[in-house]
Amino acid sequence: NKFNAHPDSRCWYVAWNPKGTLLASCGGDRAIRIWGREGDSWECKTLLQDGHQRTVRKVAWSPCGNYLASASFDATTCIWKKKNDDFECLTVLEGHENEVKCVAWAPSGNLLATCSRDKSVWIWEVDEENENEYECVSVVNSHTQDVKHVVWHPTQELLASCSYDNNVCVYKEEDDDWECRATLEGHTSTVWGLTFDPSGQRLASCSDDCTVKIWKECQPEEGTDVAWKCVCTLSGFHGRTVYDIAWCPLTGALATACGDDGVRVFKEDETADPDQPAFSLSAHVPKAHTQDVNCIAWHPKEAGLLVSCSDNGEIAVWNYQSGV
Amino acid sequence: MAHKSEDLFDCILMADDRFHVEGYREGFGEGTRQGMIDGRKHGASHGAKLSMEVSFYYGFGITWKFLLQNNTDVKARKRLKVLESLLGLIQKFPHEEPQYEHLQEDMEKVRAKFRQVCSLLNVPTDFSDYVKSGGSGGISF
Repeated sequence: NKFNAHPDSRCWYVAWNPKGTLLASCGGDRAIRIWGREGDSWECKTLLQDGHQRTVRKVAWSPCGNYLASASFDATTCIWKKKNDDFECLTVLEGHENEVKCVAWAPSGNLLATCSRDKSVWIWEVDEENENEYECVSVVNSHTQDVKHVVWHPTQELLASCSYDNNVCVYKEEDDDWECRATLEGHTSTVWGLTFDPSGQRLASCSDDCTVKIWKECQPEEGTDVAWKCVCTLSGFHGRTVYDIAWCPLTGALATACGDDGVRVFKEDETADPDQPAFSLSAHVPKAHTQDVNCIAWHPKEAGLLVSCSDNGEIAVWNYQSGV
Repeated sequence: MAHKSEDLFDCILMADDRFHVEGYREGFGEGTRQGMIDGRKHGASHGAKLSMEVSFYYGFGITWKFLLQNNTDVKARKRLKVLESLLGLIQKFPHEEPQYEHLQEDMEKVRAKFRQVCSLLNVPTDFSDYVKSGGSGGISF
C-alpha cells in the first residue's frame, strides 16, 4: 500500500500519534500532512502549509497526542495544537543557529529536545500553566558536528543524541542543567538514527558505515554514573547508509530504513546471552521504494504494522508477520 | 709536521661538511627566532579573540543582572539564576592559563550557557562581531 505524500519532493519523516489513529508526515515541500485511514486507503485529513519557510525534517507527537512538534531547516521548531481536524500553531521555538534536525518529546510530556546542524542539543520545558510557554532549560554542545537525531529513554529522564561526528551522546540532568554523561564511540561514520528497546535497557544506532550497533547500559567506572557499551554490531546486511531504525514497542522487532531503497526487519535470537544479543534478518523488501528510505515507524498499537517513507515523496505501509 | 699537513687537508676536505653544519645551525637559529615572533603574534591574536568573546558575555551578563535584580517576579528570578550561572562559569575560567586542559570544553559550556540566557531573555543572537557562529545556506540532510 503506497501513496504519494509529498508531491515532487522528499518525504523526510513519518510519525504515528500515540493512539495510532493518525500518521503525520513532513517533507521537502515545507508541508506537514496528517493522514487518517479510510477503509483500505489513507486520506490526507490536514495540510499544514505555512508553518515553515524551509524543509520540515521531522515531526513528533506529544505523549498525550494533542500536540505536534515540527523541526525545520529554517532553524525553528513549531508547536502545533490539535483542534478537531485542524492544527493551530501555538508557538515557534527559536534559538538554534541553523537547521533543526530533530525534535522529540519526553515521555513525561513536560520536556522537549531539539538538535541542530549548529552542533548543539537544546532541552526545553513546557510551562505547566501556559501551554504556549516553552523555556530553554539547557543548551549542550557535546558533539563536534551536525547532530542528526535525539531520542528520549522510554522510562527514565535520559536523552540520547547522535551526530555526523560518528558518536552517540547520553545526557542526564544534574542541578537543573543537562550534561553529557557518556559518549558512545564505535561507528566509523555519521550516526543517523537511534531507538531504545521497549524496556529502555538497550539502545540501537544506525549509521552511514552501513551497520547497526546495539548498546547496553553497563557498570560505570569510578567517577561516572552512566556507561554504555556496544554489545552487538549488525554488519553485512545493508548495502548503503542506514538512515533510520525503529524498535517495535510491542514485539521487540527491529526495523531499518536504508539508502539502498530497502526496508529490513531483524528479529532477536531468544536463546542468546543477554549481554551478547544476536539478531537475524527476518524480512527484507529490497526495493521498498524507488529511492532512499528516510524513515521507518512501527504502529504503536497494531503489531506488525510498519510505515516507511522515501526521497521519492512516497509513504508505504507494510505488514510484517514473523513466521515461526 | 704530520699534524699540520693533516689539518691542512682536513680544512679543505671537510669544508663542505663544515659549511653544511654551520648553515644548518644558522638556519635553525633564525627559524627559531622567527618562529617565536610568529608564535607570539599568533597567540596574542587568538588570546585577544577569545578574551573578547568571554568579556563580551561577561559584560552582557553583568548588565542584565543589574537590570533584573530588583525584579521580584518568578520569571525574573529564574532568569537571574541562569545569568548567575553564566557569570559563575566565566569567573571560574582560568584567564591566565593558555595550557589549561579543559579550555575548549569550558568555552563550549560558556557559549552554550550564553545561548540559553539569550533564549530566556528573548534576545536575538546576532552578535556576529563577537561570537563564533556556524555557517548557513547550501544543501542540508
